[in-house]
Parts: sequence; C-alpha cells; structure tokens
Amino acid sequence: MNDTKNPTISKPGPSRRDFLRGTGVAGAAAAVTALAPLPLHAEQPAADAAVAIGPGPVQLTLDVNGAAMTTKVEPRVTLLDALRNYLDVTGCKRVCDRGSCGACTVMLDGKPVYSCTTFALEAQGRKIKTAEALFADGKLDAVPASFVQHDAQQCGFCTPGFVVSLRAALDANPKATPAEIEEALSGNICRCGTYEQMRHAIAELCGKGAPEKKGGEA
Amino acid sequence: MTVAWPENRRILGTRVTRLDGPAKSTGRAKYSYDINRPGMLHGRILRCPYARAVVKTIDTSAAEAMPGVKAIHNIVKPGAELFYAGDEILGLAADTEEHANDALRAVRIEYEVRPALVVEEDALKNDRSTAPPRGQKNVRPPMEKQTDEFELGMAMSDVIVEGTYGVANICHQCLEPHGLVAEWDKDGGLTVWASTQAVVGTAQALAAHFSNQKIDLPANKVKCITHYVGGGFGSKFGPDVQGIVAAELARKAGAAVKLMLDRAEEVTVGGVRPSAYGKVRIGGSLDGSVTAYDVDTYGSPGVGNGATVGPLPYVYPFESKTKHTVVRLNTQTQRAMRAPGHPQSCFFTDCAIDDLAGKLVVNPLRIRYKNLPQNDPEAIKSAPTSLAALRNTIYKRELTLAARLSNWREKWHAPGKGPRKGPYAHGIGMALHTWGGQASPQKNECTVVIASDGSVLARSSTQDLGTAQRTVTAIVTAEILGLQPSDIKVELGESQYGASTGSGGSTTCPSQAPATLVAALAARDDLFAKIAEKLGAKKENLTIEAGKVTDKDSKNSWDWKQACARLGMDQAKGEGSWTYEDSKNENSKNVSNVGVGGVQVAEVLVDTETGVVRVTKVIAVQDCGLIVNLQGVESQVAGGVIMGLNYALFEERIMDRQTGRQVNPNMEFYKLGGIEDMPQIVVQMVDMPERGVIGIGEPPTISTHAAIANAIFNAIGVRVPTTPFTPDKVLAALAKA
Repeated sequence: MNDTKNPTISKPGPSRRDFLRGTGVAGAAAAVTALAPLPLHAEQPAADAAVAIGPGPVQLTLDVNGAAMTTKVEPRVTLLDALRNYLDVTGCKRVCDRGSCGACTVMLDGKPVYSCTTFALEAQGRKIKTAEALFADGKLDAVPASFVQHDAQQCGFCTPGFVVSLRAALDANPKATPAEIEEALSGNICRCGTYEQMRHAIAELCGKGAPEKKGGEA
Repeated sequence: MTVAWPENRRILGTRVTRLDGPAKSTGRAKYSYDINRPGMLHGRILRCPYARAVVKTIDTSAAEAMPGVKAIHNIVKPGAELFYAGDEILGLAADTEEHANDALRAVRIEYEVRPALVVEEDALKNDRSTAPPRGQKNVRPPMEKQTDEFELGMAMSDVIVEGTYGVANICHQCLEPHGLVAEWDKDGGLTVWASTQAVVGTAQALAAHFSNQKIDLPANKVKCITHYVGGGFGSKFGPDVQGIVAAELARKAGAAVKLMLDRAEEVTVGGVRPSAYGKVRIGGSLDGSVTAYDVDTYGSPGVGNGATVGPLPYVYPFESKTKHTVVRLNTQTQRAMRAPGHPQSCFFTDCAIDDLAGKLVVNPLRIRYKNLPQNDPEAIKSAPTSLAALRNTIYKRELTLAARLSNWREKWHAPGKGPRKGPYAHGIGMALHTWGGQASPQKNECTVVIASDGSVLARSSTQDLGTAQRTVTAIVTAEILGLQPSDIKVELGESQYGASTGSGGSTTCPSQAPATLVAALAARDDLFAKIAEKLGAKKENLTIEAGKVTDKDSKNSWDWKQACARLGMDQAKGEGSWTYEDSKNENSKNVSNVGVGGVQVAEVLVDTETGVVRVTKVIAVQDCGLIVNLQGVESQVAGGVIMGLNYALFEERIMDRQTGRQVNPNMEFYKLGGIEDMPQIVVQMVDMPERGVIGIGEPPTISTHAAIANAIFNAIGVRVPTTPFTPDKVLAALAKA
C-alpha cells in the first residue's frame, strides 16, 4: 500500500519509484501518492508534506488550450479520459489506450505526450494543448492546413494525434528535416494508410518542394 | 429522362481537397465515440474468457451494489454455451467508465469449460465438434470444382511446379472501435450515434430488434446519426450485439448510454479477415502458357460460415481444379474485409505464377501478358463498356504503365540473381487484381435544394467512412450547378435523410454519385421552371455556365445569386435515386458501371543476414471508370497499398491454443507499420470516363501482398510461403535455398 512516511521530493512529478509505490494495488482500492510539487487542489497541505488522495473523486483543474477547466475525477483517471469523458475535449482520441498508437497525443508544456498513459492529476499546472488549438481565430495552423491540402487523412481518427506530434516536432526544431519529422511521428499509427500523402505534407512543411523519396532505388 | 455525365467537366476528375479536412485534422469533427450527452452513462460488456464454455450461473448481486451502477442487461441465460473467447454474456451501465469497469469485475460467473479448437492445423489433425451447431464437425466437407480440360492441361504441361502458400488471419483494427451512444426520448423514439458503415441499416436493425421484443418501435422512430466514422473496412454493418445492448441499457436506465469497445474487444470481436492456406500445382509450357492450375485450400471463418477464398484461379482463365475446405474454429466470426476473398485468391494465383515463371525462366511480365483473359466477343457486342468486353485491353494498358513506371525491363532479374549491396538483395515483383464496384441493387437517394440566396444543400443518409464521400456529393452537385464544391453544404449520415445502403463492396460512390447527379439535374430543372418567366426566358433555353445562368436564345446571363433571387419565397428542389438496374437502363447506362482491373509492382530490399524485408517502392496502376475526385481516389489507392503492405509484412492474429485466446489483441504486439516503414508509393490512375463511376475502395488493397511476396522471391530466389513475411520466415526460407 501507500507509503506516505518517507516522501521523496526531488524533481517535479512523481518518480518512477514513487509511482510504483503509490499504485501497488490495482483497481478501485488504489490511491496515488501525490507529491507536494504537484499543485493538486485548494485543500492541499503545506509543501513539505505528502498527501494520499483518492480513491474517490478529487478536484481537478486543467489548463486546456488556454482555458482553465475544472471537474472532479478519481486519481486513477488518465489525462485522456479526463479530457474526453469529463471535459468534453474530444480531439484527442482513444484507440489503443496503452501508449502504442499515438492517437491520444497532446502537448504538455509544448512536449508531445500520450495522454492515455498520463494521469490527469499529473497534468495540473501545466499547459495542455490539443489539436483543437490548431484552429484559432478562424485560421488553420500550417500543419493541419498542409494535411488538408495534401489529403493526409482519410477516416481522420488518427489525424489529430499526428498533427499534434508534428506541430510539437516543428516547434522544437523549425528546421527539422523530413527524416527527423518522420522519426518524430514514429509513435503514431494510421490504419487507413495516409502516410504517402503525409509525406507530401511533411515535404511542404519542411520547405521542400517535392515529396522525399525514401528507401531509394536499388 | 436521360441521365448522363456532362461531356465537358469542370470539376469532375480534378483534385478537390476534402470538405471536412479542417474539422478532422483539428479534432473538431465529432465521431460517435466523441458524443457526450447530458447525464450519459458508460456501458461495458462482460465477455467469456474461454474459447468454449457453458455459463452455469450468473450472479450480478455484488455488481448491482457497486457505486454508480444504473442498469444491467443479460445477453445470455445460464445454460447458454459460448463458442469463443470474447463472446458476450451481459452488459452494464454506470455513471462513469471507472465505475462500469469496477462493476464488471464484481460480476460472478461460473463456467463449465469445454474443449475448443482455435488453430486451423489442430482441427485438420484432430477434427472435433467444438463450434455450433452441436454435433457438426469443425472441418466441413470440401467444395470442389474442375474445368473440362484440366486433366488434359496438366498432361500436356512441360513443367509442373508445386508450392504451398498462405495468408494469416488478420484483424480489421478500426481505430474508432465499434459501438454507439443510445438515447431514448420522451416519445419512445431512439436516437443512436453509431460508428457504422450502414446508417439506415443500423436504424432498421434496432427497430426490428425492439419490435421482436414486443416493444413498439417503428423504424421511423429510430434515428441513426453517423457524421464521421473512424474506419470500418467491412466490419461495421448494423448495430451488432454491443449496439443492441447499449440501447437496452439506455432504456432500462432512462439515460443515454455510450458503449464503445475497448481495444482488446475491438481486436477480439470487431472483425477478422479469414485465413487461407493451401497447395498449388501449376503446369506450364516452355513458351510461358499456363496449361493447368490445381489449388487445394483451407481457411477458417471462425465460428462463422462461408468460404475464405474468392474466385480461383484469380483473374486468369486457366483450366483448373479447385478445392476449398472450411475449418470452423472457436474464434470470432469472419467479417468482410476490404475485398473479401480476393486477397487470398490473388495470393494463391499470382505467387504460383511467379514460381512457374521462375522454373520456366520466363519474365513474370511476359507470363502474365501471355495468359491474360481475352476480351469477350459477345460482351463487345452487347455491353461494350463492360469489363468483360475490355479486360484484355485494360490489363495490357495497365501492365504497360506498370512496366514503364517501375522500369521493369531494367529492374527485373532472374530470381536470386539480382544486384546486392552488402547483405541487401534487391527484388521486384508484380500482381494483378479485379473487383466489381457496382451500384447497389437497393435504392440510394439524394436531395438537392437551391435557396433563393443561391446557397445549395445536398443531403443523403449515406455515410463517409473516410472515402471523402461528402466531397463526392459536393463535387457532383457543384459540377451540375456551375458552382464550386466548397459552395455546397453537404449533410450526410442521418437515417432520416432518405434511402441509402451500407458501404460494402465499393458500392457507395457508384450509387451515390449518380443519385446526386439525378438530384442536381432535377434541382436545376426545377430552378429553371421557377425563374424562367421572371427572367423573361423560356425554361428550355436556360443553361448553366460556371457561376451563372444563361439564356441561349437572348444570350443574356445572370449571376447565379441574381438568378436564384428570382425564386423569391420559393426554393428549387431535386430528388435523385439510383440502383444497379438504372445503370443498365438504356437512358442512363454508363453513368455507373461494374468491374475494374489493377496492376501493382513492388520493389524490396531483403537483408539476407537479418531476414528483414524493406519495401522500397510500390507502383499501383488502377482504373475505376470515371474519376470523380482524383485526389480522393489517389488517397484510396495509396491507402489500399499500405493496408496490403501491412498484410504482407506485419499483421497476424496469433491464437494461444492453451487458453484459446488471442495473444495480441492490442497494437503493440499486433503490428501495423508506421511512416518510417513505408515505401515510396506511385499511384497511376487510368481514367475511363466513358464507363461511368465504379467503386474504388477495395481493389487497390488486393494485390499488394502478392506483389511484395513475388519481389521477395525475386530477391532471394526462394519462396517465403506465408504472410506475414517476418524475419524468422525469411531466414527459414533462405536456409532452404
């Protein structure tokens, strides 16, 4: 069970060790040890004490696309489920639900994360950006605009995840090459098969005229 | 009335970006999974964990007492026998997903576990009766056929090559899982937001279900809404068990219920393309003529029924003997998957052809050219735009294009004798395919309304699976009315919008594009009738040019909005419908058609040290009659190639014969390629506007795996017999070389 006697406070967010300690029992009885640096909720005690929260719902405030959104969730709820089921932010999709397909990708303080393997409580106090943010003031961001132009989407269910991953990669390195962008997208899976058109979009976004020919000709 | 596509086309056949692209790519498009209704509950289904078991007792008392549980619906009663792991037992709904999952774990079921078979070879070695109906053997009596001159063909062959080939069971893996949100209204009507390929069919099936339960629910009180679908590929027709359960739970709880399958459920019960394994003996002459073809296959539809192969031999009219054995297993029932039966048949035919070509030392292009079906002389007379009349012409044209685009003459080499760079062996291979893609025999409807402000609404109940059907409707309407596709407001995917059929068999575009054409022409004529007098013109003299209405007699022209303003308080409206029969009608033939060909060439590099295959390039040459949206069609073809590449290299449903369960019901061990795994894909469309519209969704995925298989054979000189072509299989084949 939870060991709250010897809290270790090192860096922001729980360490892997603390996480494992906190979730030693699966299911409804589990409670997550939350560490002081996480701004949890109004009743949070002083910064040097750890507090066990849950298993019942706790107050959650998330900064989603610049808006403060508040709800109550059990500590076991993932960021993905909090966004989709509690806050009606549905641009991030639930597909594999275990960190292998990338459809749930959102930006957390500018970095792409799988929201299905991130606890909602961990995302408090951080800036969450979803695909919806890439359409603002009636203007389409260059990444989704390029996806539309080159038809890099079919059913579209994986697309917001790809678009967020790609936006984050370009934000991190505006001079990224197509090969670097492809590497950044290697954690996303598309079932309809839009990769060829995606390459055309990537080529445009990387300032290359024509699609990069991969694999070469033997 | 005579219906025909315009001779001079402004928009049809050009590249039009999909209308819903911005909404989809920024996550604002609402799929069924994204629907959140006020007070909505979350439903889950309890499933049998055994491949075969009798449910002895069901105890839900603990689950009922769990927090947030609002309704439980038993799907089976104690005593029921269940025949695969994943078969449904009961559904429940709770206020949160977390509570629903907790409650599911609190249900107590006693099972009597029975022997089961989940692997084809096991059933063939030791046949039993483990699938319904009771007493019937799992291995069904084979279906056999033989042509008149098969024996003669074998007897006169110079060379006979024998080989074994096979394709694994693969799962649809729709990214949006199956499921729906169900909500009853105060008047006893039911609304569902369903992830489906059959909007109208789903509504009707739900009405039928409740009517059978003596609950009055006429079809006109069921509304199915499907504005966006996250993939279907043939697996999403009708409400399915989970849809019915969601509606039952919603009724019991008096609240909306969302019930979408989780990933493990989606993979385990959401659809499988059936396996096919077997032996081929193919006989040929030294000149490259195939003289006889003998194929003996088996495959499993799971607990379902039906063959797991399509037409054999495939495309080529060989003298043949065919035998197919259905092996029923305790696994989910097969579902249609993007050209059901054809990828299997293509593999058994096109791979054997290359093995024969290898033995005869004949170029695979030449052996295909030599054995193509001829144009049917009868069809040339009776139906000159039919595939039967054109098949030889089409395939030769496509072989020519494929050879040119792939630089076949330079690239092809004798099997295993190609250029090597270190451990990398180069190979090139090809395969052919065909598909129908006709208009549905049942009616598809479309309505086009022109308002007095010039705005246009096109509406149909049909669904857009990602095929850009919404954009097709806009293109056809805009073409007829002299507008741009973005000027057209398209409303799709609601069952009350009229008749439409399920999107199966590549029938949607060849049904809906003509229905839209008829509707737009009727709306135009209605507009002319209503405004002619006010324009001082005769309605028969009015015509449409880009953005305007013109009087052919006076040469006067009115801007579209000016012209429509003459409608005053009125509006112009046209209704259109289309069926396969209409496509054969003398006054409307060649608006839609049936039958396509296609040729694909794949190039690979095989790492002979590790066994890893990398596909470097795929050329896909494809016809589909009149092209409506070139960009949409290119997307469909490239997507089909990628699905075929996944089939070739990565995908396999792996069953555990000990537990009877699938080992990889997920996305980390059930492999799908990412962008870095992809080859360069070159799509070359062959536009044949004189044939009319033909469906394109399925054909381009049929032959990719066979082309890759043949490229691997060309690279290493030995056949890797079964998909997926994983490194272990490649190394095993190399060890035999």
